Amino acid sequence: MKNESILKMKINANRIRSRIITTVLDYGDGHAGPSLSCTDILSVLYNGVMNIDEKNPKSPDRDYFILSAGHKCLALYATLIERGYEDESVMQTYNRLDTKVPGHPDEQKFRGVDFSTGSLGHGLPLACGVATAMKLKNRMNRVFVLMGDGEHGEGSVWESASFASHHKLDNIIAIVDRNHLQINGTTEQIQSIEPLKERYKAFGWSVKTVDGNNIEELYEALYSLPFKKNKPSLIIANTIKGKGLSFAENNVDYHHWNPKDPKEIAMARADARKLDEEVFTL
Amino acid sequence: MMKDPRKVFEAEFDKIGAENPLVLAISCDSAKGAGMATFIHHYPKRYVEVGISEQTAIGVCAGLAETGFKPVLAAITPFLTMRAYEQIRNDIGYTHRNVTLVGSGGGLAYSTLGSSHEAIEDISLMRTIPNMVILVPGDGNEIEQALRMAIAYNGPVYLRMPRQELRNIPVDSDEKFAIGKSRTLRHGKDVLVLTYGTMINETLDACEILLTQGISTSVESFLTVRPIDAQMLIQRVRDYEHIVTIEEHSKTAGFGGYIAELLADKDFKGTQHILGVEEGSKQVGPYREILMIHGLSAEKIAASIAAILKK
Repeated sequence: MKNESILKMKINANRIRSRIITTVLDYGDGHAGPSLSCTDILSVLYNGVMNIDEKNPKSPDRDYFILSAGHKCLALYATLIERGYEDESVMQTYNRLDTKVPGHPDEQKFRGVDFSTGSLGHGLPLACGVATAMKLKNRMNRVFVLMGDGEHGEGSVWESASFASHHKLDNIIAIVDRNHLQINGTTEQIQSIEPLKERYKAFGWSVKTVDGNNIEELYEALYSLPFKKNKPSLIIANTIKGKGLSFAENNVDYHHWNPKDPKEIAMARADARKLDEEVFTL
Repeated sequence: MMKDPRKVFEAEFDKIGAENPLVLAISCDSAKGAGMATFIHHYPKRYVEVGISEQTAIGVCAGLAETGFKPVLAAITPFLTMRAYEQIRNDIGYTHRNVTLVGSGGGLAYSTLGSSHEAIEDISLMRTIPNMVILVPGDGNEIEQALRMAIAYNGPVYLRMPRQELRNIPVDSDEKFAIGKSRTLRHGKDVLVLTYGTMINETLDACEILLTQGISTSVESFLTVRPIDAQMLIQRVRDYEHIVTIEEHSKTAGFGGYIAELLADKDFKGTQHILGVEEGSKQVGPYREILMIHGLSAEKIAASIAAILKK
């Protein structure tokens, strides 16, 4: 069962990455780098960790997911498409008039998106609200929230990190997509967030660090939750920004990618093909 | 009879607590000051203290509302409407969530505490939030009505609370209050005043002064500051050469600005005058004196209206 889940997570991760790359190629721009870095995290969450029902996206029994770093939405759209929330054809309308798949996710447009996001620092406060509601209702639903590392410059992240531990919200599982890059440079150049693990621990969280592009490690970390009773859980997922797009990996210039260079376009098509073909060898 | 706004709120909110188990009291270290203490005493499990973290408080409310609760958040007005503006816009306004925001100390209520605590831009800000209903009560009855309407309404509401004791505004016993409905408090032929909240009683007093000068004033009061029915408004203003909006708020982009927007491109041939607080004013002092400084006491309002009509 566990091996089956891991296989599905790996297959989906490849499909998600391929779809991210081809969508940006077809439309002409998009947040390729950050979407590709968090792909494995989303694939693990949606294929064996979270309790969800694609036939009933608003099921009261579901676990909630909040993409606090909303610009990574290409990964979320592709993940939800793999799970059958929407048809893959919606991606052909990416960023176009009346699309369901704009540059940041909108809960009123795409089935399965629990909260509209886009401005950084909103996700963890929202997660605190849902988690508080579940405690008040004595329900077991959990709230997963994915944040960027650059996002930690927002004060609201730390406000709500305090709230979550003060109120013992052990039904919150926050994941930091720690790719070390933001728009203008590395996180440590722009404004250091280290020591991130110690900061969260000092804020009363239980913290694990994993390789965020390793499906097995992610699944292992997310298998038994919360990490500690009465404490919110945090996973620092060390990732490679642009993972799977060969020339963009760990490259600060591909946060938002405008494919114009014919060489890059050819390489990207080859990368997508490779990801598709790899699925049959997993 | 004078009434303490917070005591009125406190009693009514407690009653609502008994009637509706989904109502929650959310606080930014403001619960007692806002009049939530009795509710919290009776329903301690339905109280969520967020502390001095307005941005987080809005997210918490949005999350609670998403799961079916009816959060009522109390916070000091400028910190609520300014610090958390973007959270209100994105997580409550655009997404039409069922959250009531209670701004404690609206307008010049904290007139001795300086510009950081004065709330004279809140109407400007909240009226640009998509879907936001704005309710501003001017006496005890209107506080009860506003709170009831906010709880019954399924969507975002901003309720601006006064702080000083308030005299009862005349009301017909069978009068029905509803969101979007204004009230005609006085009929007159020379000038029409459009006003809300704490300025209603000042305006009614000003009308008595004006009457001694032979000026007959019509007064329309707006417990619902937004939305206002534009068709109703044009019908109401059409017969007047002069209309005057009066508000305990900045003259910039407030209620007066909203009325001007609603009347743009409509068949209104008269002139609109805006009475309110000059933006950037740093005057500090006792409430009544500050009202006078800004021309918002009954005597000053009467003088301004008389001057408008003499031009």
